[in-house]
Amino acid sequence: MTVTTSDSAAAAAAAGRRPLLRRPDKPVQAAVIVVLVLFVLFVLPSLMSGYYTTYMTLAAIYSVVCLGLGLLVGRVGLYSLGQGAVVQIGAWTGARLLYGTGQPFAVVVIEAGLVTMLIGLAIGLPALRLRGLYLALITLMFAGAITVVLATVNFPNGGGGFTGYNGSSLHIPPIRRPSIAGSESAYFRYAVVVAIIMFVLVYAHLRTRPGRAWAAIRQSEPAALAAGINTWFYKLWAWALASFITGVAGAVLAAQYQHLYSINFATQDSIILLAVVLMGGVYTLWGAVIAALLMQLLPGWLQSLGVSYAWLYILFGVGVLQVLTTAPAGIADQFPKDMKRLGGFLWRQVHRPSARAAPGTSGPPGAPAAGSPGGGAQ
Amino acid sequence: MPSWSELEQFLVSGLALGGVYALSGVGLVVLYRATGVLYLAFGAVGALGAFLAYQMIQASAPGWAAWIVCILIGGVVTLIYGTIFGPALAGRDPLVRAVATLGLTLILFGAMELLWPPTSGATRSISLPTDNGGFTVAGLQVTWTQVIALGAGVVLTIGTGAFLRYTKLGTAMRAMANDREITATLGVPVRRVEAAAWFGCGVLAGFAGLLLADLVQLEPATLTFLVISSLAAALIGQLRSITVTFIAAIVIGVVHDLLTPFTALTNYRDMTPFVLAAIALLWVSRHRQIMTRSREEG
Repeated sequence: MTVTTSDSAAAAAAAGRRPLLRRPDKPVQAAVIVVLVLFVLFVLPSLMSGYYTTYMTLAAIYSVVCLGLGLLVGRVGLYSLGQGAVVQIGAWTGARLLYGTGQPFAVVVIEAGLVTMLIGLAIGLPALRLRGLYLALITLMFAGAITVVLATVNFPNGGGGFTGYNGSSLHIPPIRRPSIAGSESAYFRYAVVVAIIMFVLVYAHLRTRPGRAWAAIRQSEPAALAAGINTWFYKLWAWALASFITGVAGAVLAAQYQHLYSINFATQDSIILLAVVLMGGVYTLWGAVIAALLMQLLPGWLQSLGVSYAWLYILFGVGVLQVLTTAPAGIADQFPKDMKRLGGFLWRQVHRPSARAAPGTSGPPGAPAAGSPGGGAQ
Repeated sequence: MPSWSELEQFLVSGLALGGVYALSGVGLVVLYRATGVLYLAFGAVGALGAFLAYQMIQASAPGWAAWIVCILIGGVVTLIYGTIFGPALAGRDPLVRAVATLGLTLILFGAMELLWPPTSGATRSISLPTDNGGFTVAGLQVTWTQVIALGAGVVLTIGTGAFLRYTKLGTAMRAMANDREITATLGVPVRRVEAAAWFGCGVLAGFAGLLLADLVQLEPATLTFLVISSLAAALIGQLRSITVTFIAAIVIGVVHDLLTPFTALTNYRDMTPFVLAAIALLWVSRHRQIMTRSREEG
């Protein structure tokens, strides 16, 4: 947990649009992030088939959802078993506003985030009295209730009234997308930009006062309280921030699906979300990206290989058990270490015959950081 | 407003459902008290047993063998999990141990989706022979399965209460609920007592799975996540009191089924356990600290 009080937050945010590393004020790492973001925005869409564009868009959207859950679990120590329902609230609100109003897409996305945040606060205000296991269970209960309500009310399909649902309509208009991002690859870029903004938002929080308060709360709540931190307020703040970005992701998701049904959201989604977030790693922001790729890109890849998606559940189950028993920091922590070890090993193998001793002990510092997303995205 | 005669039948089915919830809830509470693990894979284990029983019945194995397999498989899978991951996570926060059982849930869920992929048309089900027999009470049709479900709930609640109160093993479990280390110092074979708790809870999971496959539907997601309803009952009992858990389970089952004939509410009836549990949790949190256990070990 970096609680450095460096003044480089603004500089880092400007240098690296995707501040996912622990010490992004390092120029090499910041450069890697910039290159990666530019690659994802400008090169990747032209390399991907339409099939993978769909899955990558979902991955970009879900990276924000995973970011929210990772923030709660890793930074504040609040486990939520109901994030799937929060996505549904965001998607419902976003779809309703996109059908019902002519506001610009970006405005609707922010509004959906705000509405989700308000609902999240309404749940969080009483629920955050509880801690640990009981908090996780009450989120599970609220998620169950919300899922039942939304399945009954139905997702909007262009009808009138408050619910915006018309049971008898035959020609359901698609949920509109922003005018600048009508095509699949353009919408992918749009989703990535939204995700980057959300990552920057969270990063800014982590590098400033709330981030330090959350770090203290996660270490020990009584100690944080003794240090004069208003733990109730900062826990609620984290809760609200996570709800907001998850709601934003939900609205972007609604326009990605274009037609929303309650079967888009499976009961097990909340559990799978927690599983992939733990597997990806909750202590770095990279973890959210890895988690989203695991959750959304892997099914597409498996499907193209003709492998049943049920294997994924098994993989995630094994992954959760492995993370909890042996590797609490997840892939984001484990993978660079393994790569560093591998790099060091290869370096020694190559340079052993030559008499010139290699300066330093391991490979270039940028290599492990670059390896992490590259390995996940392939 | 439906008439009483319409409601009567739902009262019977609600009591049966409540009985199964009680059975599951009591299993969850006993395991939580003995080991500190909230076993969220309860429903998945029961569903696995039910699917294996279904497969055996399809292969024209005798029914009784299939039921025994169903019940035992629950116990065995749970015991294996408990033996491997119980000690490995023993010192961790109850929350982490509960999340770990979600890992088992996902593994079992994936295995079931793989082995018994969703059928498009006909739904699978297990019909126990007790469905056909039955009797009429005050003009109400009651099947033996419903009687067994409610009866099992009642008997197990009383039986478990007596077991914890009067037997040596039960006393050891209660002691471990208070303090695992001191109990071990006193010479209680902690691992063996925990194994007994895991196996007992798993057997209950298998039994609940069998009954739910008959009363509700044999489908992985449905059965896996029905555990949340029994969990709601256990939460109302604060993961502690089996009497309160039993009463809460019966109330949840009855309210759920009694809402069915009300057209305005019928689609919302699945919210019953969530709403009741959320209210109970919030109510309790206003008046008392209920996370003593997680405090001690956290």
